[in-house]
Amino acid sequence: MNFSVLLVKILEYMFVAGWAGTVVVLVLTFVEDAGTLLDRKDENSH
Amino acid sequence: MSSTSNSPTGSNRVRIVVATSVMLTFISYWRAAAIILNDLGSSAFYACGIAEQAIGKSAPWFVLGVMLFAFAVRAVYVESCSMFVRGGVYRVVKEALGGTLAKFSVSALMFDYILTGPVSGVSAGQYIAGLINDTIAIADAHGWIPVAIHHLFNGTPQVGVNGASVLFAVAVTLYYWWENIKGIEASSEKALWVMQITTVMVVMLLGWSFFTLFKVGGHLPPFPTLANIHYSQESLGFWKHSKLPHMFAILGLIIGFGHSVLAMSGEESLAQVYRELAHPKLKNLKRTAIVIGVYSFLFTGLVSLLAVMLIPDDVRTRVYSDNLIAGLAMHMVGPQVLRLAFRAFVVVVGFLILSGAVNTAIVGSNGVLNRVSEDGVLADWFRRPHKKFGTTYRIINLIVGLQLFTIIVSWGNIYTLGEAYAFGVVWSFVFKTISMLVLRYRYKGERMWKVPPNFHIFGVEIPIGLASVGMVLLATAIVNLFTKSVATVSGLIFSIVFFAIFTFSEKVNRRKHAHTAAQMQEQFQLQQAESVARETVGIRAGNVLVPVRDYNTLNHLRWVLERTDTHEQDVVVMTARISQFGAAAYGLSTEQMFSDYEQTLFTRAVSVAESVGKKISLLVVPARDAWSAIAQTAHNLESSGVVTGLSSKMTTAEQAFGLGSAWEAIPEPKRQFVLQIVQLDGIVDTFRIGPHTPTMKNEDVVLLHRLWLNLTREPGLENVHHHDILTEALTRFARDYGARDREDIVKELRRHGAEGGPLPVRRIADQVHTVQPGPARADRDVGASGAKGDGAK
Repeated sequence: MNFSVLLVKILEYMFVAGWAGTVVVLVLTFVEDAGTLLDRKDENSH
Repeated sequence: MSSTSNSPTGSNRVRIVVATSVMLTFISYWRAAAIILNDLGSSAFYACGIAEQAIGKSAPWFVLGVMLFAFAVRAVYVESCSMFVRGGVYRVVKEALGGTLAKFSVSALMFDYILTGPVSGVSAGQYIAGLINDTIAIADAHGWIPVAIHHLFNGTPQVGVNGASVLFAVAVTLYYWWENIKGIEASSEKALWVMQITTVMVVMLLGWSFFTLFKVGGHLPPFPTLANIHYSQESLGFWKHSKLPHMFAILGLIIGFGHSVLAMSGEESLAQVYRELAHPKLKNLKRTAIVIGVYSFLFTGLVSLLAVMLIPDDVRTRVYSDNLIAGLAMHMVGPQVLRLAFRAFVVVVGFLILSGAVNTAIVGSNGVLNRVSEDGVLADWFRRPHKKFGTTYRIINLIVGLQLFTIIVSWGNIYTLGEAYAFGVVWSFVFKTISMLVLRYRYKGERMWKVPPNFHIFGVEIPIGLASVGMVLLATAIVNLFTKSVATVSGLIFSIVFFAIFTFSEKVNRRKHAHTAAQMQEQFQLQQAESVARETVGIRAGNVLVPVRDYNTLNHLRWVLERTDTHEQDVVVMTARISQFGAAAYGLSTEQMFSDYEQTLFTRAVSVAESVGKKISLLVVPARDAWSAIAQTAHNLESSGVVTGLSSKMTTAEQAFGLGSAWEAIPEPKRQFVLQIVQLDGIVDTFRIGPHTPTMKNEDVVLLHRLWLNLTREPGLENVHHHDILTEALTRFARDYGARDREDIVKELRRHGAEGGPLPVRRIADQVHTVQPGPARADRDVGASGAKGDGAK
C-alpha cells in the first residue's frame, strides 16, 4: 500500500466517522433548537 | 500643563480614561439573521452551478449535504461565542494555537473575504448579461430586431457574457470602494429589506417550481455514488492523471463535498453580529442560527435540487450553469412573458443580494485588517485615517485593488473564482474547529454552551461532536488541496504573502511601539475603566462633552474652551474608537484602544487647552457607531451639552438627527442635552436632543391666540389656558393620526416637507375669526420658548 492510498484511506475513515458523529450533533441540536423556538417568552423581534 | 492631572503618583502626566465596554446599539435576531443571509444567501445564485461543472448532475445532493453540515458548523460558532463575545476565527485561533497560526488563519479568512467580492460581482454580471441576451433572442425570434442590426452582428445581437460580467463586477466594486472610502454605515434595516424581497422571490420560486413539477413531472438527480460522479478535467486538479478518485467511492464523496463547500461561506458573520445581538444573547444567537440554517437550506439546497430536476440537461449545462436560478425561472409552466418577467425579478433580487455581498466583502476585510493592525501585526501606516472622511482608506484601497486584480485575471470565469473561494472558506473553518477542540482542554473560563455530545472517561472530557465536525472539515480541506489546484496555488501564495506581511509588520511595529510606549509614558497615563461614569472620569454633572476625531479640525474645542469657565463646568474631550463590522468580532486591549493616532489627537487637544489656559478631561470610548457613543457617553456623564464640529458628510440637521436617533435608543430614564455644532466659519447651530418645546412660528402663536380669544368667550370656558388648547389639538391630532386620517396627515406633511415650505398655518388662521373682537385679555400663559433650533427630533 503506497502513501497516497494510505492517506486516502485515512481521509475516508475521518470523513465517514466525522459524518457519523455530525449526524448525532445534528439530531441533538435540532431537538434543542425546537425547544429554543418554542420558548418565546423573552422573544424580541423588533 | 493645564489639562487634568489626577495621577496618583502626583506627576503632571495627563490622565486618559479608556473605557473598554463597547457602546453598541442592539439588534433583534431577525435583523442579525438578515445581515448574515445577505452574505450566506448570495451563494445560492452560483454554488450549485459551480459544483455541477465539477462533479456532474448529482451536485444538488452535495449542496444539500453542505447545507445540512452547515448546521453543525454553526453549532461550533455558537460554542465559541458562548466563550468569547468576540468569538471570530482570529480570536479563537490566537487563544488556542498562538499568534503564528492565528496570522495564517486570518490570511485564509482574508482570502475568503477578498474573493467574496469578485465571485458575487461576476455572478451578478452573469445574471444581468444572461437576461439581456435572452431578451434580445426572444425579441429576435418575434422579428422585433431590425434586419440592419441583425446584419451588423451577423445574427442575433448578443453581449459577451464574461466581458460584461467583468465590467459589471468592476463597476460595482468601484462603487462600493467609494462608498466605503466615504464611510457608509452598515445598516441592518437595509439588510432586512433585501431579505424581505429575497423571501418573496424564494417563496414564488419554490411555489412555482413545485407546481411545475406537479404539472410536468421530473426526476430526482442521480444519487451521489462513484458511478454517478462525473469529474470534469479541472475538478481533479493535481489528481487529474491519478486513478485514486476513480478507485474509492468515499473519496468521490469527499471530492464532491469539497466542490460544494462554498455554499456555506458567510458563517463567520455569525460571530461578528453576536456582539450586537439583544438580550438574551445566547438564546438569540441560537435563534439566528436556526433562521439562517433553515433559510439557506431551503433556498440554496432546494433551489439547486429543483433546478437540476426542471431544466433540461443540455440547456442547463450549456446556457444556465452560471445563472441557474434564471434558468429555473425560464423553465416553469406558464406564458413566456410571465416567465421572462419573473426572471427579471430574479435578476433584480440577485443584483441586490450579490451587490450587498460585494460590500460585505469590503467591509468585512477592512474590519479584519483593522483588527490585526490594532494588534500590531499590520503597520500603522495602513490605519492612517482619510483626511476628509476619517476612514481607513489605505486598507480599503488594498482590498479593492486585490479584488479588481482578481476580477480582471479571472476574466469573468465564475468557476475558477468559486473554486479558489472554497480554499479560504474551508481552511478558516478547519482552523476554527481545531482551535475549539484545543480550547476544550486549555480554556478554563465561562462556557455557556457546548457542541453535543460529550462523554467523560476517567474524568477526561471527550468532545465527540466537535471532533466529528473537525474531522469532516479537515478531510475535505486536505482533499481540496489535491483536487483544486488553482485554489491551492493561489490560496497558498496569497496566505503566505499576507502571512509574511503580518510577520514583518509585527517585527517593525514591536520596535516602533516600544518607542511610542516610552513617549506615552512621559505624557499620558492610561486608566482603564469597564464603563464610562462621571466618577471614573472625575467630573461634575452638567459638564460639556466635546467629541473629536480629526486632529486637524479642533476649532470646536477651542470655541468651547474660550466660552467655558472650567472651574464651574468641566469639559470632557472624547474620541470614539469605532469597531467596524468585521472588527467587532475581536477584542481590544487598552494599549490597542489608545494607539499612535489617539496619542497625536489628544496631544493636539491638550495643546489647544494649554493655549486657552483651560482644563480638560480626556476619554477614549470603543463603539460600534459614533452617534451611539456620543449619546451614551453624554447620558452616562450627565452632560448638559455636546459641542461638535461640522461633519464633512452631513449637514448640521442630519448630524442632529443622527445624535437624536441614538439618544432615542437609550433606555429610560435619560436626560436631555443641548447639541451645538460649530462650523468652520464660526457659525453655531444649536439643537435640543430629546423631547422639548418646539420653536413656534409667529403665525402659529397668532392662531393659538385667536383660538384662545374665541374659546374664552364661550360660556364656562373663561379659565381656559393657551396650553389647554394645544393639549386638545394634539390629542385630536394623535387620535386622527392613529385612526382614519393617518394617510391624509402623512400626505399633507410630506407635501409640505417636499416643498420645503411652512405648513398652511396662515391660511387656516385667516379662517378663524374672533367672535367678539374686544380688548385683549391678559394671557395667563408664559410665552413659547424662543430657542433657536428644533431640528433634532
